[in-house]
Amino acid sequence: MSVDAVSAAGIVTGPDAVPLVVEDLRKQYGKGIWANQGISFSAHPGEVLGILGPNGAGKTTLVRQITTEVLPTSGQVRVLGHDAVREPTAVKSLLGVVPQEALLFEYLTVHQHLRIFGKLRGLRPKDAGPRADELIEELRLHEHRDVVVDKLSGRLRRRVLIGIAALARPPIMVLDEPTTGLDPQSRREIWALLQRYRDGGATVLLTTHYMEEAEALCDRVGIIQRGRLLALDTVPNLRASYGYEFKATYTLNGHSETHALYGADDKELVERVQGLGATQYSVARTTLEDVYLELTGGADERDGDEG
Amino acid sequence: MSAMATKVEPVTLPHPRALRVPRSAKFLRDVMSVLEMKLLLMRRGWYWFLLSSLVFPVGMFYWFGGVASDDPAAVRRVMVGAMVFAVSMGTIGTLAQQMIQDRFQGRWKLLITMPVSKVAYSAGVLAFATLLSAGTVAVLLGFAWVADVELNVSWVFFPVTAAAVLSMAGLPLLIVSSAPSAEAGSVMTNLVGILPVMISPVFFTMDQAPKGLELLGWVSPVRYAADGLSKSLSGQTDVWTEFGVLAGFALVTIALGLWKLRWREA
Repeated sequence: MSVDAVSAAGIVTGPDAVPLVVEDLRKQYGKGIWANQGISFSAHPGEVLGILGPNGAGKTTLVRQITTEVLPTSGQVRVLGHDAVREPTAVKSLLGVVPQEALLFEYLTVHQHLRIFGKLRGLRPKDAGPRADELIEELRLHEHRDVVVDKLSGRLRRRVLIGIAALARPPIMVLDEPTTGLDPQSRREIWALLQRYRDGGATVLLTTHYMEEAEALCDRVGIIQRGRLLALDTVPNLRASYGYEFKATYTLNGHSETHALYGADDKELVERVQGLGATQYSVARTTLEDVYLELTGGADERDGDEG
Repeated sequence: MSAMATKVEPVTLPHPRALRVPRSAKFLRDVMSVLEMKLLLMRRGWYWFLLSSLVFPVGMFYWFGGVASDDPAAVRRVMVGAMVFAVSMGTIGTLAQQMIQDRFQGRWKLLITMPVSKVAYSAGVLAFATLLSAGTVAVLLGFAWVADVELNVSWVFFPVTAAAVLSMAGLPLLIVSSAPSAEAGSVMTNLVGILPVMISPVFFTMDQAPKGLELLGWVSPVRYAADGLSKSLSGQTDVWTEFGVLAGFALVTIALGLWKLRWREA
């Protein structure tokens, strides 16, 4: 990042203000599997960008390269102009990260976590305590302020992790499957929190394999499979650009098997289905799940924990 | 649809405070924060730390004391052996266990996403292990007074103790960076933390060591730690050879340990 890009008031301006740029990112583990193959995209300021993909598609590897935990085989990640390979500390200062399967220090209380991690994030010691209390209110954790996290439910621990990510009011939040394993109510609580950060100007990048999460929360959705980004756009655009705005589900006479047809025009779809001799059919707007299944083939990539 | 990078118009965004903190101040703050984390762990169960770091050294003192002569110098050497054993347990054992737990229980995942260097993290855990070792040695000094061990503590006792702690500090870094699992790391910690003290000339002098152990004594840092502490507890100040060897070993192993410690995955 050029010196001119940071004003005395601590404001980033100019081209360096693009929150996140990923260019032709490739990652090969050893001489084996390619987890990411030429991924390119940019994240807009103040948007929630979802990366959707089956298990093993390369989502976690992508996130871990952005958060500087994993070195790319080739390609580039720039966070507000900082290179993730050459300037990892600067990049980490700009990111609030909720890693997948990260654990808290079971012997520390909620307040101790937020206060100590606040200092690690760069807050001055005298600011870390008040900021921790502010976040405890924001995350509605005041009843658990002085409770060791060992005694908290998974839902509350996830909120503490999000609080740790939000400590230094980062311009970019990166969350790797933040709602996996949570009940629907807890999931919606986290959606609301992330929307508030987005509304406050932060860029939020999250990975998920929940369709409804991507559809409800994300301004744009990227679909990833076998390490390749197959599509990236808003949900309506994804549906429209693939000609899959409508879906007809039908059964043929004398058969119990259900078939599906996709098309841009509902009337045309009805004519096509009738032309096939179907007497029982329904036509509806396609969902993100339809587009996703059509693009990815609907199956998990491979077994393993690499998301 | 193409997944190519989209051109984004320039905007203004807040710049985080962390980027404007001087590096040295941030480093010190990180070290202190990691130390605070570990001290809070100790506050929760300090008696276990005290027990684990005292029971074995005191037991070793009586065990070796039973077979050593009643000569005050021999008793003092056994006391020194107990201290070296305590330092080894406190430094290698605590440092390795703490880092292994952080690594294999998923806490590293949280720490490595922070703008914290591996050197600051290691220094914080090392500061905790040093405090623990220093506390144990202080309690053992008190115990020696109660047990009527003849001691004449010279000023070099403190720098030699510090050098002994640092000479052992690099080994846990090597253990945690090479252990494939928590269980393997635990076994490696016990081997590296206990075995050298048991088979090096620590509870006895080089003169009393069998031939094979005498050879080991020339290269074992714990023997130099024992010799240095022994001299400093008998009023001598001529410990420069021991201090030099311990400092050299500390420099090499800490540098190697930090180099091997993976904060980013290749």
